[in-house]
Amino acid sequence: MDYEMDLEPTGPQVTVREAEPYRVDFRLTAVDLAFANSLRRTILAEVPTLALDLIEIESNTSVLPDEFLAHRLGMIPLNSYNCDQDLDYTRDCDCEDHCVRCSVTLSLHARCGSGIMSVYARDLIVVGERINDKIGDPVTTDPENKGPLICKLRKGQEVKMTCLAKKGTAKEHAKWAPTAAVGFEYDPNNNLRHVDYWYEQDAAKEWPVSENAAWEPAANPDQPFDYDAEPNCFYFDVESIGNLEPDMIIQQGIVSLQRKLATTVSVLLGEGEDGHGGAAEDAEMMGANDPDAYEPPEGIDGNMTAYGNGAASAWGASAQTPYGATPYGQSSYGF
Amino acid sequence: MNAPDRYEAILLAPGENKIDVEVDTRLPSAAIFTFHKEDHTLGNMLRQRLLKTAHVIFAAYRVPHPLTPEFQLRVQTDGEITPRQAVINASQALIKDLGILSREFTKEYELRKAANAANQQQQQNTVE
Repeated sequence: MDYEMDLEPTGPQVTVREAEPYRVDFRLTAVDLAFANSLRRTILAEVPTLALDLIEIESNTSVLPDEFLAHRLGMIPLNSYNCDQDLDYTRDCDCEDHCVRCSVTLSLHARCGSGIMSVYARDLIVVGERINDKIGDPVTTDPENKGPLICKLRKGQEVKMTCLAKKGTAKEHAKWAPTAAVGFEYDPNNNLRHVDYWYEQDAAKEWPVSENAAWEPAANPDQPFDYDAEPNCFYFDVESIGNLEPDMIIQQGIVSLQRKLATTVSVLLGEGEDGHGGAAEDAEMMGANDPDAYEPPEGIDGNMTAYGNGAASAWGASAQTPYGATPYGQSSYGF
Repeated sequence: MNAPDRYEAILLAPGENKIDVEVDTRLPSAAIFTFHKEDHTLGNMLRQRLLKTAHVIFAAYRVPHPLTPEFQLRVQTDGEITPRQAVINASQALIKDLGILSREFTKEYELRKAANAANQQQQQNTVE
């Protein structure tokens, strides 16, 4: 199995162009479009964060109905530091209802004495224990550290509630999204002609190129069009909401992709070990033992004999690759 | 309200397999893998890597319906390896590449942060 070496001798390359507290802008090269797009998709939808999920309202005499407030509270970004490793999903946790290992409890209590009172996210206070000393704090990015406005109260009005923050992903609800936006661009000069611009007189004049165009040359218009060319350079601009550091969002995205692939590997290997499916099914897959199967004419190889040797060497070889053997706990596949 | 629960797009139903393998008997060395609770994120990535994997002569995926969280991956090999092994090989190659990406990103990010800090220091010095 030395095909990996032939394809990409060096693997993905990254150039970080800008790194700000809530933003990272980088260029990803030497990968294909599907890989880059999967990274983008997973960053958007499958990075776990913390958000308020269950609100117990004790008293709400404000002008906003309970469900309105609960919805607003759900949207408030909470610090999700190390959320993926430290916190469990409540549904996977061993506890009865919720516990420190799968949730953070916050309380909100505000009562207006006179005039108009504004209730901000900073008024959410973590109560009880939590798994690390950052998780669950409301994210405040304004100069006064107030955070988003939750509601306003008039004289005598009160809100008092206990809120439960849980771990989740944006695939379930957008309130768990770690990013405000992910910019994604490739081929800014449209050398590959994936875009067909609409224009009045001249497409080149009417469609200004983006800043990324400075990072790669435009194709010479005199050259013939290279229809075999594939995109291999991608420009990402990830903007964090503040609950996770921008680099952590990328790393978590990578981890979540790796988990998906590792599950695929272990499931496909595991089925062989159980006895059902596995070897017998593989043999069937290869066209052996099947009366309806396609039978190659004599003299063409790729027949049963080739299967015997090929399969044996394939299983044997993969057992020695680092990923086949160690991380998923399988050293032999029981064949 | 007949909307399905949101978790149904993520969690496997009781008794549901993550991947169902169906042998395609119309051709030798072909199989259809149905991945449950997965989408284009995994499907497209696997498909493209399979096309670059040795001994694979056909790889394609489809999402039968946008409301059902599953995709079908059809793989045919030249007979040297099983389709199952081809998918495993492609997944392992991708895991490796993602590992390289993770290291590269960490390295470049730290470099950029260090460069930013140095720039700031320089600016402060010139102001003073």
